[in-house]
Amino acid sequence: MNKKLAYTLTITVSLFFAVFFLYPAVMVLKEAFYAEGEGFTLGFVMEVFKNPVYVEGLWNAFLLGVTSTLASLFIAFPLALLGHRYDFAFKKSLSALILIPLVLPPFVGAVGVKQILGLQGALNAVLVKLGIIDVAAPIDWLGESRFMGIVIMNALHLYPILYMNVAASLSNIDPAMEQAAQNLGCPPWRRLMRITFPLCMPGIFAGGAIVFIWSFTELGVPLVFDFHRVAPVQVYDGIKDLGSNPFPYALVAIMLVISTAVFLISKGVLGRSKLGTAPRPKGRANEIKLKGITSWACALFFLAIFVISSLPHAGVVVLSLADDWYGSILPQAWTAAHYQEALSHPLVVPSIQNSLLYASGSTLIDLILGIAIAWVVVRSTIRGRVILDALVMLPLAVPGLVLAFGYLALSQEGRAFHFLVGAAEDPTTLLIIAYAVRRLPYVVRSAVAGLQQSNIALEEAAQSLGATPLRVLRRVSLPLLGANLIAGGILAFAFAMLEVSDSLILAQQSEHFPITKAIYSLLGMLGNGYELAAALGVWAMAFLAIAIIGAVVLGGKKGGLFRM
Amino acid sequence: MSSNWKKYLGVFVPLAIIVAAPLLLRDSDSQISSKNELRLEVITPHNEMIRREFGEAFTKWYQKETGKSVYVNWRTPGGTSEIKRVLDGAFEAAEERGSEGIGIDLFFGGGEYDFSSQARKKRFQKLTIFETHPDYFGEDKIPQTLGGEKYYDPDLTWVGTCLSSYGICYNTDSLTRRGLEPPTKWEDLGDPSYKKGIALADPTKSGSVAKAFEMLIQQQIHQELEAGTTREEAVSIGWTKGINLIQRITANAKYFTDSSAKPPRDVAQGNAAAAGMVIDFYGRSFNESLAKEDGSSRLQFTNPQGGSSISVDPVAILKGAPNFELAQDFVRFVLSTEGQMIWNGRPSEDELGPRYRGLRRLPIRRDLYQEPYLGMMTDPDVRPYEMANRFYYDSSLTGHLFTPLRNIIRVMCIDTHEEMKSAWLALIEAGFPEEATAAFFDVTPVNYEASATEIRPVLKSKDKVKAVQLANRLGKHFRTNYAKAERLAKESLR
Repeated sequence: MNKKLAYTLTITVSLFFAVFFLYPAVMVLKEAFYAEGEGFTLGFVMEVFKNPVYVEGLWNAFLLGVTSTLASLFIAFPLALLGHRYDFAFKKSLSALILIPLVLPPFVGAVGVKQILGLQGALNAVLVKLGIIDVAAPIDWLGESRFMGIVIMNALHLYPILYMNVAASLSNIDPAMEQAAQNLGCPPWRRLMRITFPLCMPGIFAGGAIVFIWSFTELGVPLVFDFHRVAPVQVYDGIKDLGSNPFPYALVAIMLVISTAVFLISKGVLGRSKLGTAPRPKGRANEIKLKGITSWACALFFLAIFVISSLPHAGVVVLSLADDWYGSILPQAWTAAHYQEALSHPLVVPSIQNSLLYASGSTLIDLILGIAIAWVVVRSTIRGRVILDALVMLPLAVPGLVLAFGYLALSQEGRAFHFLVGAAEDPTTLLIIAYAVRRLPYVVRSAVAGLQQSNIALEEAAQSLGATPLRVLRRVSLPLLGANLIAGGILAFAFAMLEVSDSLILAQQSEHFPITKAIYSLLGMLGNGYELAAALGVWAMAFLAIAIIGAVVLGGKKGGLFRM
Repeated sequence: MSSNWKKYLGVFVPLAIIVAAPLLLRDSDSQISSKNELRLEVITPHNEMIRREFGEAFTKWYQKETGKSVYVNWRTPGGTSEIKRVLDGAFEAAEERGSEGIGIDLFFGGGEYDFSSQARKKRFQKLTIFETHPDYFGEDKIPQTLGGEKYYDPDLTWVGTCLSSYGICYNTDSLTRRGLEPPTKWEDLGDPSYKKGIALADPTKSGSVAKAFEMLIQQQIHQELEAGTTREEAVSIGWTKGINLIQRITANAKYFTDSSAKPPRDVAQGNAAAAGMVIDFYGRSFNESLAKEDGSSRLQFTNPQGGSSISVDPVAILKGAPNFELAQDFVRFVLSTEGQMIWNGRPSEDELGPRYRGLRRLPIRRDLYQEPYLGMMTDPDVRPYEMANRFYYDSSLTGHLFTPLRNIIRVMCIDTHEEMKSAWLALIEAGFPEEATAAFFDVTPVNYEASATEIRPVLKSKDKVKAVQLANRLGKHFRTNYAKAERLAKESLR
């Protein structure tokens, strides 16, 4: 790769990143290192380590991160592998369907879980009906073994991230490699462990890094389980404390260091495919067509994962249609009135327009930046590219509120980012950038994994035949990266549509509300606020579900999932 | 080719239906900002219902009064803690560039604590309502203080607009299951039979919740005084008893939350809690929305005996407000009979009151709690002024320890909640053996004297490193004691 181009790209991307991520984050986090009269201090960070409550919080967060990632992989890998190797009943629909659990609307998602798993929830109602438990002694599913509960919820919510990345990785493996092993008499299990698994390591690492940092910094799920001794919840509690307390910022700083360290160490261990850039698959992998029971068993496995991981979503859907849903398997009475009331609310239509604008704008920025960064990281030889790679992961590890407060402070009149909002205080540009920064890691990870697996020889061939770098990118690299970019783009878009922190703090005027803030506003309605919020939440889920399935179905040239 | 078309149709037709649904259902009546000549900028934690009702009603009222159209542009960064952030950041930036205002006219809603602390920073302007409508103020309309709560600022920069208090909501089914009588006072929530069954509002994140906890302590002090103890002793004993009561209640708690809607929802669903601490209007409206045909409701709301004081949600005009006169008009409207009746009127097109939904909040003007207005209210039986008179808050007793109290609750109950809960369960299991119980309730480092002479000065000094060290030291005391209590309780069973 052209060194000059690599430097130009690196400088441009780093500048964007430094201005829109590091600057606002440092603005807020400096509170952790500054004491009046003393100036710079490490005192607060030291006090965090002296307080066993915070140390335990950090440890719990770390363990949640590791176990949730392993659990997600445990679900995602078999799914991806089955989908890669075999053709079975309803495969196309099922492969798209199992991505849907990813889109759980904020605020009401937690309520959906409680409707199912709460003391008076549907699950207990089923067990009472079956005579397994006594109505007077319901099981507190959310209260007992909370750690495991959080891991399961995280895994069921986040496995699609790993699934997409692993599926993209598998489709990049040359079937000849596996066939060679088979011909040499390698048994299937050993082939899986020695050939397939190592070859799709870039995909596993790409998805795993995101799932780890996500669950390490996850706030919502621990809150559903009322599990407060975990660092992200402690940060949230501290930030909202009426007294200005430096503890949460010190904790965030420590979490950033841990995330970076884990990322770099695991990248060193797992990140590179041991076989380097394997040749591209020459044609379709030889999918085995299953028949009879095995075909249906595969389909059932996919369906079971979908059904189990959609329980919270089902909770939200039923809640949005319920008149009163309490202590029974299904509501005593159904109604469509919540939809009528929620969707006719004056906030809703503008918020949908806003969300679409913010999310597509930020996804576009992410795709451009993501490809540029991935190219520098994988194809260039310039120094410091590993640092760039680790840096762009950091937005995942900074709590949304912290970054939002940074943007808020900097967008005031007379401050550096004021030009982005202007006199009318229109936060559109600021929100697009804020969303883009926070979702950049998804695209970068996918694109890096794709580039690592695609054969550099093809690019070199094009170059040696006289193609300009841009033409190589357009005609060779991008088409080869297609599946990975769709995976990253879907994640970036869906999570931008569901973004909470920046939306709540920065979109202050109703004309700029995105859909998440409209959901939040409906939640505050007296009486049926939760049902109204659930109705709008279902709308958002339905929209994203169709958009994702559409991207998967239309994105692939031949219509198959992640086969380009 | 044809299969491609089908694919496109299969994606875009459902997508179009989804996008069209809200467009078709859209309420075309709502106001659009660009049509209006004037724009009032209001920052508020009030919910969407309140914003919509007051926004539209003010526009109508202003049109009638002046013939001009106005659009109320609500700024809603979240709850009061986010608003504090926004105001701090904006005023800091304004100071740097040497301008007075921040482009926002009004701060509407929140608690007395939030407004008093903004007023101390001199961020408000004097309200003219005290000159134009002196008839609104006085014992029979809006008193300056009641039951020890401030209803308007002595410097006349903010004024209360509606009243609210904290009460207890409970789920009748959950109580039956636990074999409990309905709670009638805060002490009841400290009963061991409520273990793992209380939903609490978080006093570290809201001034008005912290105030409710301070009231628990004041109540204990008052009881000591009534029993004839000297003032000095009553304060010391009452403080410790109050702190112990807070320990009992929080030990029963499932969680602390800063969301007002969460406790009544969780209690109503019987999911997380049997009873909870709730703002009155949430309690009342959940009670009504779950009412069956025979009038019974599984969610009951009660104002605890001797209970909590009745406080206000104020309004104030910010320094450098771009539309100063318009903002004064808004304050005038909110305190007018039309504005006041929005809080508790029945929804209707023509009568006084809200247009879409009952807000279930209580107007501040005392003269409206009589006919003909009472007959138009959704809660004619609630008489806040009579309730407020039943309790007297004496700020000289605990007012100076308001900030220390929040910090004490954080280290004693919230940060150490896990240890606290498991010690509490062990104590219950063992039948409260003496030594273990004493360890659990040992609050020596946060007693009245220590709070005033050790904790308060550190927190006041603004030395954050010292404050953090203090929190660590106190936290250690409670963790150790809770662990000790648990160990002793378990040993007593062997």
